[in-house]
Amino acid sequence: MLKNYLLVAYRNLLRHKGFSFINIAGLALGITACLLIGLFVADELQYDRFMPDGERVYRVATQNSKNGELERVSFGSPMFAPTLQQELPEVEQAVRLMSLQSKLLFRSADGKLLYQEDGFVADPTVFSVLQVPFRYGTPAQALTDPRAIVLSEQMAEQFFGPGNPIGRELKLDTSTFRVTGVLQNQNLKFHLNMNFVTLLTPAAIGVPEARMKSWGWRQFQTYAKLRPGTDPAAVEAKFQRYLVDKVKPQLKSDQHLDYTVFLQPLHQVYLHSADFKINFIRHGNITYVRALGIIAGAILLIACFNFVNLATAKSMQRAKEVGIRKTIGASQRQLMLQFLAETLLLTLLSVVLATVLTGLLLPYLNVFTAKQMSFNLLQNPVLLAVLLGLTVLVGLGAGFYPALVLASFKPVKVLKSAVVTDGLFGRVQWLRHGLIVVQFALSVFLIVSAIVVFRQVAFLHNKDLGFNKDQIMFFPMRGDNMTRNYQAFQHELEQAPGVASASIGYGFPGDIFAGDGIEVPVNGEMKEFSVTQLLVDYHYVPTLGLKLVAGRNFSEAYKSDPGHAFIINETAVRVLGFPSPDKAVGQTMQWKVWNDRNPDSVKVGKVIGVVQDFNYKSLYDQVEPTVLQIFPEANWKVAVKLKGDVAAGVASVKQVWAKFSPDNPIEFRFMDDNFDEMYRAEDKLQTLLFAFTGVAIFVGCLGLFGLATYAAERRKKEIGIRKVLGADVLTIVGLLSKEFLVLVAVATLLAFPAAWLALSRWLQDFAYRIDMPLWAFAAAGLLAAAVAFLTVGYQAVRAATANPIKNLRVD
Amino acid sequence: MLKIEHLEKIYRTDEVQTKALNNVSLEVQEGQFVAIMGPSGCGKSTLLNIIGLLDEPDGGRFLFADADVSRVSERRRAELRKKHIGFVFQSFNLIEELTVAENVELPLIYLGVGAAERQEKVERVLEKMQIMHRRNHFPQQLSGGQQQRVAVARAVVNSPRLILADEPTGNLDSSNGNEVMELLTELNEAGTTIVMVTHSEHDARYAHRVIRLLDGQVVLENVHKPLAV
Repeated sequence: MLKNYLLVAYRNLLRHKGFSFINIAGLALGITACLLIGLFVADELQYDRFMPDGERVYRVATQNSKNGELERVSFGSPMFAPTLQQELPEVEQAVRLMSLQSKLLFRSADGKLLYQEDGFVADPTVFSVLQVPFRYGTPAQALTDPRAIVLSEQMAEQFFGPGNPIGRELKLDTSTFRVTGVLQNQNLKFHLNMNFVTLLTPAAIGVPEARMKSWGWRQFQTYAKLRPGTDPAAVEAKFQRYLVDKVKPQLKSDQHLDYTVFLQPLHQVYLHSADFKINFIRHGNITYVRALGIIAGAILLIACFNFVNLATAKSMQRAKEVGIRKTIGASQRQLMLQFLAETLLLTLLSVVLATVLTGLLLPYLNVFTAKQMSFNLLQNPVLLAVLLGLTVLVGLGAGFYPALVLASFKPVKVLKSAVVTDGLFGRVQWLRHGLIVVQFALSVFLIVSAIVVFRQVAFLHNKDLGFNKDQIMFFPMRGDNMTRNYQAFQHELEQAPGVASASIGYGFPGDIFAGDGIEVPVNGEMKEFSVTQLLVDYHYVPTLGLKLVAGRNFSEAYKSDPGHAFIINETAVRVLGFPSPDKAVGQTMQWKVWNDRNPDSVKVGKVIGVVQDFNYKSLYDQVEPTVLQIFPEANWKVAVKLKGDVAAGVASVKQVWAKFSPDNPIEFRFMDDNFDEMYRAEDKLQTLLFAFTGVAIFVGCLGLFGLATYAAERRKKEIGIRKVLGADVLTIVGLLSKEFLVLVAVATLLAFPAAWLALSRWLQDFAYRIDMPLWAFAAAGLLAAAVAFLTVGYQAVRAATANPIKNLRVD
Repeated sequence: MLKIEHLEKIYRTDEVQTKALNNVSLEVQEGQFVAIMGPSGCGKSTLLNIIGLLDEPDGGRFLFADADVSRVSERRRAELRKKHIGFVFQSFNLIEELTVAENVELPLIYLGVGAAERQEKVERVLEKMQIMHRRNHFPQQLSGGQQQRVAVARAVVNSPRLILADEPTGNLDSSNGNEVMELLTELNEAGTTIVMVTHSEHDARYAHRVIRLLDGQVVLENVHKPLAV
């Protein structure tokens, strides 16, 4: 019986090559898109799943309300971990890590000299909470002494080649570290990019012991492993209560605790941290993962709908066969099984084709997403099961209704007349139209999304940020000589050919920033405001091309500027309550100087100038109230504005560098690259969206083409009669196209509100965003209509130009 | 074998109601060859469909082998069809995706006959119909006469008690038509009951009885020859 079914199915495939191609190709494309997206999503969901106790591990993060918006920060105070460990019995272990935000120059005994980034200092028990597998060494003993260093596989290989490097030495400045462990973390799906880890001590990070007791200093990532069966919400609440009841009352008046803590499950860190401020971790974006998931579902749905549409349309041709089989004695059930078997065969072919396509395309997706996804069915039984499941699901899902329609034909009716006009066909027609509407609604939705995302991404790249990021070389200072003689270094840089200006400080656009309080008198009392501090020099404003709207820039002509002058931005004028930029100039401000030896020192000064707001962070963030001041103690980074030939400029900067820091090679970037990098996720989303929108539209059109072919076929005789009666080609093309264009119009109207809502929500994430472009909706509607018209029109023209006599002889 | 009492069949569309069969009563004995004649639209095909359990009457009774089958389920009717009834159509109604042998084999598959027995039966009937040499051809590769012989082969392969033929020679030239009529006669002589709808007086002469319908009613019945017992 099955053999007979498959035989008929196979011969039917061959006989109706066009339909078979449309069906199989459409479905295969849809399934390929689904598989590729599925692999990507599965990979994203796999982050941090390698830890045996991962279910019990939480990241202790903080949040506070800033300008009315909740701001989440992954950092906490150095006191979090010890307090959790000592005061909360529910916590099995708590550890701290601190990310070293710079490249460090390591030297091996055989003289290899290499910059390394992504370094951490951590508590000794870090690897029993974050259970990263070790290639060499044991996690428990790895970080017991301040001279110990744990390396990534990659770093270990760079310095020591393959083999076990335990016990070998690495020098960092004057300190010597001994390798105690090598992590097995190449291609590990871990949210921390760990290149090397050393023991966390106050000396290691250059702070006095007392600073490690600070509750206001938030620069540590804290992870807590809870005891089995503990409710994290209860721990969170208990810890927060502890902060309010025990910690706050003890704080000195100058310390403040304006945040609340929360526990983020380890398994959510990777995908649910995109909105965190200051994110030094590898992270994905759940919004994009969901969007891609929805697109995958939409494409598969479109492909399945094609299938249902074509199968029911084609059912007329199969009606006779059904009639014969029923007459001979086939039961409805047997016929349904037959047609389901056919659909399953077709689906199976599509899945096989999709598997091949996926295998071919995956390497490109891997390059694009920088992942190492594999698609090996033999090694991955789960994947095989998924494919089989997909075959059955799609086969049954798409095949059930057509099978039901076909199997319920009455033999008397279908054997008698060439044209079947059963009530059922009215319903099928309705269903078919419904499915086309849904298909095109999905396509229009995707087109609008693609246009809006494209516009927003272009906006992100091209928005006037309020400063000039072009041709600015950007690098950190290295070596004691350079840091000590920064003024000479800056001066020589500015004298170098090809250099317009140079600025040294801490807090350059696209880099990291210090947030701190600033005090201004309000009604006779000093009130503290939270602001971003840019610690700059005389050359910062001209180097970045900032515009002063009131007052003046810092100037060497005023001896009091380093100690008693502040420049603020327009937002600060508003937030601090000054009536206007002009009136802000001359106002008093004071700042608690970062000074470990004298924690009570205060810098009192006046506002000397106001700069126009500029977007020094990503456009996800609103411009914050910002204070610029001269504070050489924080000098770290250098920005050099080049003029003329870039290559020549870079060469002369390198010469100056070599003079001041001959032992350290220069590592520089261009500031505009930093900014472009901020929107890399959006760039990729845009590309993926374009690609998959294309697939969705193409698959939808394949189906429409098939239906139009069928419609033209079905109405051959009508067209013949009309032509004999004098209808011209245009009238007939219009007649055939109208039916589909109406459906596309309905689809467009349905898609608009959904697209509007979804895209408005997406745009909400950006502090600086485009207005919803209305033309995108019009364009998407027109595009869908044009594509539909071209698809249908081809068939319509063919039918309309055919010789009417031939068609009238059909019956 | 067949007993029809006061049979009614009404076709309805939205606006028109047509009485296809109006109080038709007749009886067919086992082994008889009956021809039903009448102009287009007289209800002869409707009658054949009801006898063939492809359609249900709106009134009256229909007994098949002494059992009332006027109101039985679709499943039971499919069961009776595949066991006891063979069909031959004017337009042959072969499945185009199946070869000659596969078409003939189909009723046996639905009957659940084993593969070896199926092959044997198919070969026997194909030989009998003299189209064994065409067994692996597809219907569209055959002439009309050959196609109809395949259709007859398919109708008789499971040795049904009743063969229903709807204008079996309608699409054939006279010599092919005669061949088919000879085949039916042979089958009838071997004991199979045959009910045939036809326009052709020539074909009707092969039958024992001719029943004439007009506007859904039996108007005349001639007996050509008595049933040889």
